[in-house]
Amino acid sequence: MGGQTGFGAVPAGDDGSAGFGADWEAHVYALAAVLRQRGLFNSDELRDAIERLPPAEYLGTSYWARWLAAIETLVAEKGLA
Amino acid sequence: MTGHDHDHGGHDHGEHGDLPVAARVRRLEERLIAAGNATDSEIDAVLARLYDSAAPVNGARMAARAWTDPDYRGLLLSDGNAAAAELGFGPLTYQLRVVANTAGLHNMIVCTLCSCYPISLLGPSPGWYKSFAYRSRAVREPRAVLREFGVTLAGDVRIAVWDSTSEARYMVLPSRPAGTEGMDADALTGVVTRNGLIGTAVA
Amino acid sequence: MSERAGARYAVGDRVRVRPGDPDHHTRAPRYVRGHAGEIVARLGEWALPDASAAGIIAPETCYAVRFAAADLFGGGEHTVTVDLWESYLDRA
Repeated sequence: MGGQTGFGAVPAGDDGSAGFGADWEAHVYALAAVLRQRGLFNSDELRDAIERLPPAEYLGTSYWARWLAAIETLVAEKGLA
Repeated sequence: MTGHDHDHGGHDHGEHGDLPVAARVRRLEERLIAAGNATDSEIDAVLARLYDSAAPVNGARMAARAWTDPDYRGLLLSDGNAAAAELGFGPLTYQLRVVANTAGLHNMIVCTLCSCYPISLLGPSPGWYKSFAYRSRAVREPRAVLREFGVTLAGDVRIAVWDSTSEARYMVLPSRPAGTEGMDADALTGVVTRNGLIGTAVA
Repeated sequence: MSERAGARYAVGDRVRVRPGDPDHHTRAPRYVRGHAGEIVARLGEWALPDASAAGIIAPETCYAVRFAAADLFGGGEHTVTVDLWESYLDRA
C-alpha cells in the first residue's frame, strides 16, 4: 500500500515500548516462527495468505489478527491440524 | 477464508470467532500440538528469544560503537551481518543493511508490503510502524510523516526512504548528536533511540 | 563487490520495473511498477517470492533500486529505494 492516500495521521504515540500489546500477539508470532522453522510453510506463503484475506478483513482487523487468520488459512489448506 | 475443522460441536469460529482471540490462539496451538506439528517447548523457545534478547539496545550498541570506532563504522556500513556478529548479535536470519545519516542526508525505513523489521536488533516493532498510515505515507511524504513525529529537518537535508521488500532488513545509523563528545560507547548507547534507528527521530 | 555469474544487472544500471498487476503474490510494490530507477546495490540470491508462495523455490539475484519520488508520485524531492528481484526488471 505504499503511496496510497487516505490513511490519515501516523499513530506516532502507538509506540509498543512494552513489546507486544498482548500475550496472544507474541504467541501468534511464535507459532508462525515454529511452523516456518519446521518447514510447514514459508514466509511468502504466509504473506500470500495475509494478502488473500478479504479486503474488509484485511483493512478491518489488527496486524496480529491478520497473521492469526493467515496461519489458520494455511493450517486448513495444508491439513496441518 | 476456507472453512475450519471443528472437532467440538457448537463452535463456529469463522474469521472473527465467537471465542476471545486469546482462546482462539491457544486452541490453534493445541490443535497443532495434537497433530504433532508444534510443541509448547518450541513455542516457548521462540518467546524466550524474543523477550530475552530482541531489544533496541542491540541496535543502539552497534550505533554507539560505530560513533566511537571508525573501523567498526566501516564494517557496519559494508557488512551489517559481520558487524552484528562482532557484538554477539549474530547470526542474523536476514541480510542487515545499515544506512548512515549525514549532515545532508536523513534515512527512513519502512516496509510498505507487510511491516518487515529487524526484530532481533530493535525488538518487536512499534504499532505505528505497522500502521496503514506509516506504510502508505512514508514513501510518499516522508517529511510530513517526520513532522508527525516532531522532527523538522532543515530544508537542505535530503531524505532517502528504504522499502524493505526482500530478505534484507534495514537500520539507520544516526548522526552522532552534538554535545556527546566526552561520552564513551556505553554512555552513547543510551543516546540512541529506537526511532532513531528506524529514521523517525534524528538520533 | 565480487562478480556473481548470471546476475544480469550491475550497480549503476538503469532499470524499469515491469508493469502489470499479477493476481499472485509478488514483492514488487504497485507504486514502482512501470517506473525506472537506478541500481544502487546488488543483494543476495534469494528465492523469488512469487514462486515461494506456490511452494516452489526459485533463487534469483535481488537488487536495491533507487527511484526519484517525483517520478513515482509526481512530487517530492526524496528518493525511495526498493529491493527488487531480477525478473521484476527490464533494462531501461
